[in-house]
Amino acid sequence: MKGRYEDENLYWIPVLIIFVFLLPFILKGLSFSYKYYLFVLNMAGIYIILNVGLDLLSGFTGLLSLGHAAFLAVGAYSSAILVDQFGVPFALSLILSPLVAGLFGFVIGFPALRISGMYLGLTTMGFGFIVKRMIIAFREWTHGSGGLDVSSPVLFGYTIKTDWNNYFLIYTFVVIAVVAGRRIAKSKIGRAFMAIRDSEQAAEAAGINLAKYKMLAFFISGLFAGFAGVLFAHTSSFISTDHFDILLSIYFIIMILVGGVSSIYGAVLGTLFIVLLDNLFVPLLKDQIHFWFNTQAGDIQSLIFGLIMFLFIIFQPMGLYGMWLKMRIYWKLFPFNPRQRFT
Amino acid sequence: MKRVVGTLIIIGLLAVGCVKRAPAPGVTDTEVLIGNVQDLSGPLKELGAIIPSGSNMYFQYINDQGGVHGRSIKMLIEDHQYNPQKAVAATKKLVEKDQVFCLFQILGTSPCEAIRPILSETGTPLIAPATNSGTMSDLSREAGDLIFHTDTGYDRQGEILVDYILNQNSDAKIGIVYQDDDYGENVLVGIARAEEEHEITVQKESYQRGAIDFKGQTMNLLKGGCTDVIIAGIVREPVTVMKTAEAMNYKPNFFGTGPTVDARVGKLAGSAGEGFTATYWANMWNSDAPGPILYRELCEKYDIPEPYIGLYHYYGFATAQLLVEGLERAGRNPTRKSLVRGLETFKNWDVGSFPPITYNRNDHAGVDKVQLVQMQNGEQVVITDWLE
Repeated sequence: MKGRYEDENLYWIPVLIIFVFLLPFILKGLSFSYKYYLFVLNMAGIYIILNVGLDLLSGFTGLLSLGHAAFLAVGAYSSAILVDQFGVPFALSLILSPLVAGLFGFVIGFPALRISGMYLGLTTMGFGFIVKRMIIAFREWTHGSGGLDVSSPVLFGYTIKTDWNNYFLIYTFVVIAVVAGRRIAKSKIGRAFMAIRDSEQAAEAAGINLAKYKMLAFFISGLFAGFAGVLFAHTSSFISTDHFDILLSIYFIIMILVGGVSSIYGAVLGTLFIVLLDNLFVPLLKDQIHFWFNTQAGDIQSLIFGLIMFLFIIFQPMGLYGMWLKMRIYWKLFPFNPRQRFT
Repeated sequence: MKRVVGTLIIIGLLAVGCVKRAPAPGVTDTEVLIGNVQDLSGPLKELGAIIPSGSNMYFQYINDQGGVHGRSIKMLIEDHQYNPQKAVAATKKLVEKDQVFCLFQILGTSPCEAIRPILSETGTPLIAPATNSGTMSDLSREAGDLIFHTDTGYDRQGEILVDYILNQNSDAKIGIVYQDDDYGENVLVGIARAEEEHEITVQKESYQRGAIDFKGQTMNLLKGGCTDVIIAGIVREPVTVMKTAEAMNYKPNFFGTGPTVDARVGKLAGSAGEGFTATYWANMWNSDAPGPILYRELCEKYDIPEPYIGLYHYYGFATAQLLVEGLERAGRNPTRKSLVRGLETFKNWDVGSFPPITYNRNDHAGVDKVQLVQMQNGEQVVITDWLE
């Protein structure tokens, strides 16, 4: 019997992890603006954790969620309240707050038993609005729409405050999240998720408990988003309802579509691609965009992202990770590769 | 002995040379770079274009006269789309990448709140945040010592309006329609204080940002018998509320907080907007005070397009005057600390644009009074002196 990762080359993974942790030093050596780049990478890291969970739900299980910004909010607010108002240590909040978000996911999983596709998407979008109203309604704890100041993370008596320190905290958990995501995807649970996505009837006939696994998918996805929320709240120092709007949920979907659905590495690549495009390349081109189109870059940003998503869906449905796989196969077979393979 | 004295002099000169201060970020011999984060493509993009344009007009005027201490002022503007997370990213870029000297006029309460950690971490001052929120001048908050607010807080405005209404009619039944966000939240703080002081209960009706239908709220105010209604909105909301009330044949006195002072409110509301009274914390742009006179001269000199000229453009101009004065007082070799110290020397500073402004180590609030502007026969007329 083949091992779980037998057909994969795993040797490059430790090298990649070392590179991830050396990157801040490289950036510091290369640019005096390294703190800004670290901030952008930190944001990407938090979104990667969330998108690994979203990919398990929408990519692997086929359950569309347009409300993941709300799970992020639940994790963020839970942790901010637990740590700053109830005195729970940050380390404990890293366990409790994702569980709260996971439970919200579990509850949202109920409608998923009866509806699917765009209807489920709309239901999860509605969940986003409910969470926003709840944050406003529970203003005693959340300060309503005024926003909430959040303390910096404290681990082992050490306060983590700067972008530099946040990077190591966030990317430690990114590595854990990616490994955990891949373990789940390759496990019995992951196979059940994929079976449900491909055919619910066939999955049921094979003995898979649809209700259990669908709700589990929402729970796990909520856990990842809640985890991202904890890191988001404590590294941003301030959260408000404006941080978690519906557009953010749609961007998350774009990220996993661009990266390649049903692929954990795809979620990572897609998130990095969109966050870097949004924060580094669009601002670089803003003057040219203003000059040529007589409009602000922000006005056509959604258009650019939408267009990228369309192009990927039409020409590269397997996303960036799919492109990488095709390239790898192309060079492995070189020079015996038919041209059609690399399209 | 001579040798010892000579050596000491050389060491002294070297020491002086060594302690020559490194230039502050964003300051060169010819230029001071300042950063501004506006809503250029979000829900308030119109303000995001107009307000900095008024500031740039004044900077151009100063630059044409040789700048501040021989340095011209250059303003970099980033877009936050009224999203606090984007505001953080844009501010990080301005401070860490573009190395601006200070931040100026960032639009919106939640974007300003979200960037507080950056201010405190880097020691970058934020001058004249473009929000009326009273939280901006709260010195107990993070980076409170680095923020210099100009506008009268929403909380103060709410309090002053309730006082004014009850002075006019002690039996008034007051209602408020407020935006269910940080803006409305801050107005409610002042309303709560007024309720306690006057021992009254104000009927509160909320709406979500972006709402276009106010029938429910207006009907509730009608049912509650409110004789005076405060609208804490921007432009569309007061217009819709007043038109809805007119359609219901409900005719209370309408009042509005700072952002509703926009001249378009009265014009768009037509007959329903007649008598609408709003608070304003600066001199009116078309008044005869020295600030507005200079403003209109510069608009003509620099050929400012007609649609730009007005209240918000003037606001950009007036806050730029404050920043330029702060830079003057920061000295020939300005640092971020010397800018803060310079601003804290303002004592009843008055160039006729705002009411006199005083800043010191314990007070960064700026203006704390308002005048009331009423719509009369389609024109905005100042109906009160400064109310405190």
